[in-house]
Amino acid sequence: MMKKPTLTPILILLVGFLTVCPVVMLVVGSFSQGLGTFDGFTIDKYVAAYTDPEFADILANTVIFTVGAAVLATVLALFLAYMNTRTNIPFKFLFRIISIIPMMIPHILFSVSWVLLLNPSNGILNRMFMDLFGLRNAPFDIYSLPGMILVEALLDLPIAYLIIAPSMSAFDVSLEESSKVCGASNLRTLMRVTLPVLRPAILASGILVVVRSLASFAVPSVIGMPGRIYVLATHIYRIISTGFAADYGKAAAVGMSALAASVTLIYIYRFLTAESGKFVTISSRGFKPAVIDLKGSTYPLFTVVGLICFVLIVLPVLVLFYTSMTPYVMVPSTRALSMMSWKNWVAVLQDPISRLSLKNSLILGLGGATLGIVLSIFVAYVIVKVRTRAAGILESLSFLSFSFPGIVIGVGFMWFFVRTPLYATLWALLIGYVATYLPYGIRPLSSAFVQIHRHLEESSRVCGASPFYTLRRIVIPLLIPGIISGWILMATMFVRELTLSVVLSRPGTEVLAVQILRFAEDGLWGKLSALGIMMIIISSSLVVAASLIGRKMTKMEIVDSA
Amino acid sequence: MEIRINGLERDYYSEGKRIRALNHVNLTIPANQIFTLLGPSGCGKTTLLRCIVGLETPDAGEIAIGDEIVFSKGRNIFVPPEKRGLGMVFQTYAIWPHMNVFDNVAYPLQNRKLPRDEIRQRVARVLHFVQLDGFDNRPATKLSGGQQQRVALARALVAEPKVILFDEPLSNLDAKLREETRKELRSFLTELKITAVYVTHDRIEALALSDQIAVMRAGQIIEIGDPKKIYFNPDHQFVADFIGRANLLEGKVTRRDGRHAVIDCAIGSIIGLNRREIPPGHEAMLCVRPEFIKIAATDAAGGRNIFRGKLENLVFIGEAYEGEIRIGDTLLTITIEPTADIVANDEIYISFDPDHCFLLPAQASA
Repeated sequence: MMKKPTLTPILILLVGFLTVCPVVMLVVGSFSQGLGTFDGFTIDKYVAAYTDPEFADILANTVIFTVGAAVLATVLALFLAYMNTRTNIPFKFLFRIISIIPMMIPHILFSVSWVLLLNPSNGILNRMFMDLFGLRNAPFDIYSLPGMILVEALLDLPIAYLIIAPSMSAFDVSLEESSKVCGASNLRTLMRVTLPVLRPAILASGILVVVRSLASFAVPSVIGMPGRIYVLATHIYRIISTGFAADYGKAAAVGMSALAASVTLIYIYRFLTAESGKFVTISSRGFKPAVIDLKGSTYPLFTVVGLICFVLIVLPVLVLFYTSMTPYVMVPSTRALSMMSWKNWVAVLQDPISRLSLKNSLILGLGGATLGIVLSIFVAYVIVKVRTRAAGILESLSFLSFSFPGIVIGVGFMWFFVRTPLYATLWALLIGYVATYLPYGIRPLSSAFVQIHRHLEESSRVCGASPFYTLRRIVIPLLIPGIISGWILMATMFVRELTLSVVLSRPGTEVLAVQILRFAEDGLWGKLSALGIMMIIISSSLVVAASLIGRKMTKMEIVDSA
Repeated sequence: MEIRINGLERDYYSEGKRIRALNHVNLTIPANQIFTLLGPSGCGKTTLLRCIVGLETPDAGEIAIGDEIVFSKGRNIFVPPEKRGLGMVFQTYAIWPHMNVFDNVAYPLQNRKLPRDEIRQRVARVLHFVQLDGFDNRPATKLSGGQQQRVALARALVAEPKVILFDEPLSNLDAKLREETRKELRSFLTELKITAVYVTHDRIEALALSDQIAVMRAGQIIEIGDPKKIYFNPDHQFVADFIGRANLLEGKVTRRDGRHAVIDCAIGSIIGLNRREIPPGHEAMLCVRPEFIKIAATDAAGGRNIFRGKLENLVFIGEAYEGEIRIGDTLLTITIEPTADIVANDEIYISFDPDHCFLLPAQASA
């Protein structure tokens, strides 16, 4: 491949524009009077935002919600990781499923399914409990902080698991063995040795879940808002989407604190993950983790794992599908079965806005992923193969957007787009999507490029192949798995995108997740479920394709570069 | 085919500093021999190899392979690597992970658009030659290090090049496998009529494999010779030191005695080979390899090259004792046969055979 001296600066400008521009616009906007007027520096918006009497409550809710979700998700992840790597629990393939499932079920649909199950007026589970035990009032209320924490924790569980499981399996068992030799029991060893050594991974998982739930919009909007529980994300949303005049300046001012918190936490996270290598030791020879025989507690513990799988994967889809077939929310019964029909599906397919959102999301998914992956190829190439100081700048820039909460970045983009002809077009959404999700495309491609050691190309040349033949037979075949899995990853992200879209989507540019949010706000659960199942079918077929290709890819080991 | 290199220059720029990777290299690699470029890391040996194969463009000079000039700065000739018709085995083997063994080996032939049957026959023949019969359909990544190495060799040989180049091909193998593979490689290469250029920093590999060795330092070739010449009779102190362990003693030549000369150095007067014919009165360097220092019974036998010293840092390594002997302030490294009846701190007599220690010009101008 040719090294083009101009490629790196062009990419730095482009990626820098995509990631830095919304932040700059957010800062500028927070000091401005109103959308589109940059003249007149003012701190009025900050005063208005932070003297709001409600703000203290919102902040308290945000802290409880994010920390609660982080603790719950991390504890569950620890339990699952321990069960998988260290015990003889049966059906271990379930753990792999847990780690890839969140890709299949969009967060908004997962939240809706819990509303359908546990809302206090006609939640299916609530009704069943009331009938069963003759209760007057619904035993559960999902529209509460504990409800929000439960659902958010379940959504972030796979991420926490993916962070903790590798540390758990890379754990040097001799540390535990020496504890047992010293006379400590299994439980005492766990508490005194295993968990303390895993502390960096546990902290990293907790912090990442805090960041994700800070940026989360699905749970706070679908579960929090009906219960009048506002967190930062929904507070920003309320400022720009309700009332007589959307106040983008105040939204930007509030967004600044969410952004600052998020960036700080990601900085700590990166510090911790860089440090963690020092704590967790991998022994090189004959390493095999000791397996603890669960004996009598095998089946009780397996039931818990099975229940988590059921709740994470089967239940939401089942509830949505069931609701999409019934005329209104009802407890499953013979009467309910007799009333089942495809009416909601037909209604959705005839609804012009739903059809438009389906079309828009598909265009954004396919087109956006294609543009995003082309950009990712160049960025990954520069990061991996050029390796200059400028390439390092590009790498930091392109992973910056990991730490930006979507809704805040949406407000920043809003300040930018309103002054351009892109405002209220699909292009605005497309640019926002690519900017926010660029790391998802770059990551698989960087690992693909890493795999192509310089010698692999050079030996082809020495074997008599022209540069073009080398590209065709060596470089492209080795890149293709990365290109395909990055493309599909981006496409699924784009098909279900909610947090940016609620800000940037305008009449005519509705997308699937936003349309589902509208249905939820109007209580049209049947139509919502039908549209939701369509969304799941689209994104899960993409995920299945991705994991098939991913598996093919893992078969090819990275050629050692000595 | 003979390779002739004339006035080759190659500079690198790293953080604003110029590094001379090749400093006016002149070299003729004779046809059908195993020719090794030996030197410490950073001496320019790999750069020289990459210039020959065409993966790097020199800044000045000329390279001819056989009758064809493949690079000439003056005449503005640069033949790209794919047109040079060479074979090369890379340090990382560069086995393509998305292909099986057959496709890896067949690649140079597929690329030349040969008929399928011929490709199949030639691949089968070369796989048999490197003892990988039946590995055709094995994914390339499912091979051991030694097998990958042989696939790389097969791929380099399949198009029957006149020249094959090796860039430290054994450095990724563990010690035992390295020794076996080295022997195999030697027998493969002697069986073929081929010019082999071999780059290594491992002196044993160089001695065991080569017909000729060129020792390089700081972008220049210091000395060329067959293994025995390089080991027993190097012209330069650097080469003497690099090719094996050596005790180097500075002194002044006092007297010539036929092929020998007497040198006065820190431990006394020593008589050694004087092939360079350094005249009396000149500074010189005496080189004694540890294996040629022998334990002598007593002081009696005429006193030629016999010294008394104290044995220090003695370790038993199975095949020998290794230790140091202190004579005055001088420490000499010494290898003693494993059955010797000695313990540390013994006072012993040692002797140097005058035919196995040699004088070098002082501070050889390398």
